[in-house]
Amino acid sequence: MNVTLDYGVLAPVLIPALGAVLVLLVDAVLPRLGRWHWAIAAVLLIAGAAACVPAFLSGSDARRTLCLDATQCLYVADRPGSALQTATLVSAAVVALLVLPVRSPADRTPIASALVLTAASGGAGVAAARDLGSWLVLIELATIPTVALVAFRARRSAVDGALSLLTTSLVSFAVLALGAALWFAATGSALLDGDAVLAAAADPQAKRVLVLAVVLIVAGLGFKLSLVPFHAWTPEAYAGASVPIGAFLAVTSKFAALAALLVVLRGVTVLGAPALQAIAVVAAVSMTLGNVMALRESSALRLLAWSTVAQAGWVILPLATVARGAVRAATGYLLVYGLATIVAFAVVTLVAHAEGRGRVVGLSSYAGLFRRRPLAAVTLAVALLTLAGLPPSVVGLVAKVLALRPVAADGLWWLAIVAAVNAMLGLAVYLRWMLAMAGTPAPDTVDDRPHRLHLALVVLGLLALGVTSVAPQLLLGLAG
Amino acid sequence: MVAVLLCAIVVPVVTGALLITGDRFSPAVGALTSWVVAVLGSVVTAACVVLAVWRRPELDHEWVPAIGMRLHLAVDGISAPLLLLTAALGVLVVLHARVEPPTRTGHGTYLGCLLLVTGGAIATFLARDAILFFLAFEIVLVPMWLLIKGFGDPKHRASASAKFVLYTVLGSTLMLVGILGTVYLAGTADIDGLVGGAGLSTTQQTVLAAILLIGLGIKVPLWPLHSWLPAAHTAAPTGGSVLLAGVLLKMGTYGIARLVVPVLPAGVERLAPVVGVLAAVGILWGGLVCLVERSLKRLIAWSSVAHMGFVVLGLMSGTRLGLQAALFGNIAHGIVSALLFFVVGGLKQRWGGDDLAVARASLRDTAPRLGFALVVGMAALLGLPGLAGFWGELLAVASVWNPDGSRPVLLFRVLALAAALGTVLAAGYALRVLRVVWAEGSPAEQAAAPGTPEAAQAPRPAPRPVDADGYEWAVVGVLVLGAVALGVLPTVLLDSTEPAVLHLLEVAAR
Repeated sequence: MNVTLDYGVLAPVLIPALGAVLVLLVDAVLPRLGRWHWAIAAVLLIAGAAACVPAFLSGSDARRTLCLDATQCLYVADRPGSALQTATLVSAAVVALLVLPVRSPADRTPIASALVLTAASGGAGVAAARDLGSWLVLIELATIPTVALVAFRARRSAVDGALSLLTTSLVSFAVLALGAALWFAATGSALLDGDAVLAAAADPQAKRVLVLAVVLIVAGLGFKLSLVPFHAWTPEAYAGASVPIGAFLAVTSKFAALAALLVVLRGVTVLGAPALQAIAVVAAVSMTLGNVMALRESSALRLLAWSTVAQAGWVILPLATVARGAVRAATGYLLVYGLATIVAFAVVTLVAHAEGRGRVVGLSSYAGLFRRRPLAAVTLAVALLTLAGLPPSVVGLVAKVLALRPVAADGLWWLAIVAAVNAMLGLAVYLRWMLAMAGTPAPDTVDDRPHRLHLALVVLGLLALGVTSVAPQLLLGLAG
Repeated sequence: MVAVLLCAIVVPVVTGALLITGDRFSPAVGALTSWVVAVLGSVVTAACVVLAVWRRPELDHEWVPAIGMRLHLAVDGISAPLLLLTAALGVLVVLHARVEPPTRTGHGTYLGCLLLVTGGAIATFLARDAILFFLAFEIVLVPMWLLIKGFGDPKHRASASAKFVLYTVLGSTLMLVGILGTVYLAGTADIDGLVGGAGLSTTQQTVLAAILLIGLGIKVPLWPLHSWLPAAHTAAPTGGSVLLAGVLLKMGTYGIARLVVPVLPAGVERLAPVVGVLAAVGILWGGLVCLVERSLKRLIAWSSVAHMGFVVLGLMSGTRLGLQAALFGNIAHGIVSALLFFVVGGLKQRWGGDDLAVARASLRDTAPRLGFALVVGMAALLGLPGLAGFWGELLAVASVWNPDGSRPVLLFRVLALAAALGTVLAAGYALRVLRVVWAEGSPAEQAAAPGTPEAAQAPRPAPRPVDADGYEWAVVGVLVLGAVALGVLPTVLLDSTEPAVLHLLEVAAR
C-alpha cells in the first residue's frame, strides 16, 4: 500500500512533538538552562502555529496527507480544523510564556515544558486525525500530560486535582474506547469519514449501534470539554493547578477536545434527532449548572472553572442542530472563548506573580484592582465582558450571536430560551467578579511591579480583544 | 456625507471611552476639563445627527460576514425624530452634569457613561440591519448599569442596578433569538427587506412575534415585565434617569415599530389582543400606583409604565393612526419625562429625599421656576391639550377605538375605554403631586423639614441655589419649550413621520 507523506502539512503536529524530545535533549546537554526551556517551548509552538498559516491562504481546500488513495486520507486539516490547530498551539505558547517567569525547581522545568509540547502536539494532531486509532491515541496524548502538569505544583490541593483529573480521564478513555469500538462495529471501517457513516445509517441495525457509539463518544469527550455530568474534575483541577497550567486546562485542552468532537460529528448529522438531542440536553444542563455554581463560588479560580463548564455548553450549542455552519459556529465561539479566557488567566497570573497566589484566589482579594492596577483590571474586565458577550466587547457579543444562530434557524425554541436565560445568569457571574474589582484596596496591599513579560502579554491580550472587537471577522474568519 | 453617520456613533463612544480612561490616571483629569470635553463631544454628536437627519445619507458596508451582520446605517421618517430627541437629550444631560455633579469622585466616568449611552442609542436608531440593531441595543447596557451602580442612590443602587442589567440582558437575548429566527427564515437581515412578513407562515410569525414582544416588552417595559423600571429610576442619578426614560425606553417601542409590527404582521395580528390587554393593564396599574406612591421619582417612573402602555396600545391597533400615535407618544413622553426627571432629580437633591409625605414649603413660593417647570411637566403628563402629552394619548385612544379590521373590535373598544380611564387616573396623580409639592405648604413648615430622619440620612449634597438658574434653568427651559411646541404644533412631527409610516404599512400589507 502506498501512503503519501507531506511533512509540510504534518508540521503543526511534528514540530511540537519533536520539540518535546529536543527540550529533553537540550536539558541533557545543558542541564542549567532552567526557565529558558519555556522560551524554547514557546518558540517551537509558535513555529508549529506558523506552519498552519498556509491553510488559511490556500482558499477553501483542506490540506491532506497520509493518503491511502485519492479519497481516503488519514490526516485532513480543513479550515475549522486548521483554526483549532493554530489556536491550540498559540494558546500553549502563551501558557509557556506565562510560566516562564514563575520560579520552580530547575529539574522540573524541562519535563514540564516537554509535557506542554506533547499535549499541544496531541491537541493539534487530533484536529486532523481521520482514523480511529490515531484519533484515540492523540486525544490521550493531549490529556495525560495535563495530569502531571497539575500535580507538579506539589501541594495537597494540586495532587487532589490531578487525582480527580486522572480518574475521570481513565473512565472517559474507557467510554471513548467503547464508543470507538462500537463505531468500528457499525461502520466496518476504522476511518472517521462521512461515507462510512452514510452506509451504516442506511442499515437500521447498524444505525442503532452507530447512535450508541456517537452518544458514548460525546460522553467520553464531554469529560474533556467539562460538560455536565463529566465536569466534576474541573473546579478541583483549576483550583489545584498553578494559574498558567489552569489556563492550559481551560484553553488548550478545550481546543483539543472540541477538535476531537468535531472530527466525529462532521459525519454524524445524517443520524438526525437522537444523537443531536443528547447534545442539546447536555448543552442546556452544562450552561445552567455551570452558571448557577459559578454564582455561588467565592474563589476566582473555581469561578473560572465553573465558567468553563457553562461556556462548554455554549460551545456545543450549535452542534445540537443540523443547520449549515454549525461546525463553523462552534469553532468560532470556542476561538473567542479561548481568547477571552487566556487573557483573563494572563491577568490572574500577573497579579499572582506580583502579589502572591493568595491574592488571586478569593474574589474579595480583588478589591481595588481598578485603582491598584488599572491596566490589568481593565483588561480583566474586558475579558469577562467578552465571556458575558456584551459590548464594549463586540467580539463576545458576535460569538453569542454566532452560537445562537443555528439554534434559532433550526427552530429549537426551548434550547434558545434556555440559552437566553443563561446569557443573563452568565452576565451575573461575570459582573460579580467585576464588582469585586471595584472599591478600595485592602490596606496591606503588596504593590510589587508586575513581571515585564506578563505585562506585555496582558497588553497584547487587551489589544487582541480590542482589534477583534472592531473587526471580529479577523478571528471568526479563521474558522472559515 | 456618509461620514456623519459614522461620526454620530463614533464621536460619543470614543469621547466617552476617553473620559472614562482619563479617570483612571492618577491624578485623574480635572472635573472641569472632563465636562468641557463631554460638552464638545455631545455637541459634535448632535451636529452630526442633525446633518444626518437633514441630508439622509446611507451607509451599507460588509462587517462581520460570519454572522451576516452588515454595517448598514440610514435615517428615515420613523427614526429621525427619535435621533433628534436622543441627540438633544445627550447635550442636555451633559450640560446638567455641571449643575448636579456626581456625588462621588469620578466625573469623567459619569460623563463618559452618559455619552456612551447616547452613542449606543443613536446607533440603535440608525441601524438598518437587524443584527446590528441588536448590537447597538446592547451597547447602552454596561454604561447604564455603571451609572446606576456607581453613581446612584447608595440605599438602593446595588439591587436596582442588578435588576436593571439582568432583566435587560434577558430581554435583549430573547430579542436576539427572535431576530435570528426571523432573519434565517426570511433570508435577509436588512430591516427594510424584512418588511411584509417575507413569506413566513402565520404560525412561524406568531412564535417569532411572541419571542420578540417578550424580549422588547422587558425594555419598554410592558406590564408585567416592568418591575425593574421603578427600582432603576429610584436609584439612578438624574442624568441616568433622564436617559433611561427619555431614550432607553424608546428603544423598546422603536424595536416593536421596526422589527415586529411591519415584519410579522400576521403574528402581531394574532397576539395584538393579548398584548393590548397587557398594555391596558399597565396603564391602569401604573396610574393606580401613582395615586398612592410616596417617592416622587418613583412616581414619575410608574407614570412611564402607564404612558408606554399608550404607545404599545397604539402599535397594536394595526392602523396608520395607531402607528403615528405611537411614534408621537414616544417623542412626547421622551420630552416630558426628561423634563420631569430633571426637575424631580433637582428637587430630590435639594430636599435630601423625595418622600411626598414630608411637609415642605410650597414650590411656587420657594422656587417659582422649578415650580413652573413641574406644573408644565405634570400638565403634559395628564394630557392637557396644548401640551405634548395630549396628542399621543388622544390619537392612541382614537386608533384603538377604531382598530384595523382584523382585530376584535369589541375588545379593543374596551381597551380604549380602559386607556381613557387611565388618563383620568393620570389627572388624579398629576394634580396630587402639584397639590402636595407646588401649591400647599408654607415657609414655616420648611424649617421643620431638615430635621426629618430622611433628610438626616441622605448624603450631604453640594450646596445648590434654592431655585433653578444658569444651566439648570436653561436645560429645563428648553424642555418646557419643547413640550409646548410639540403640543401646539403636533403636525410638524406627524407630517414628518407620515410618509414613512404609510410606506411601511403599504409594503407590509402587500
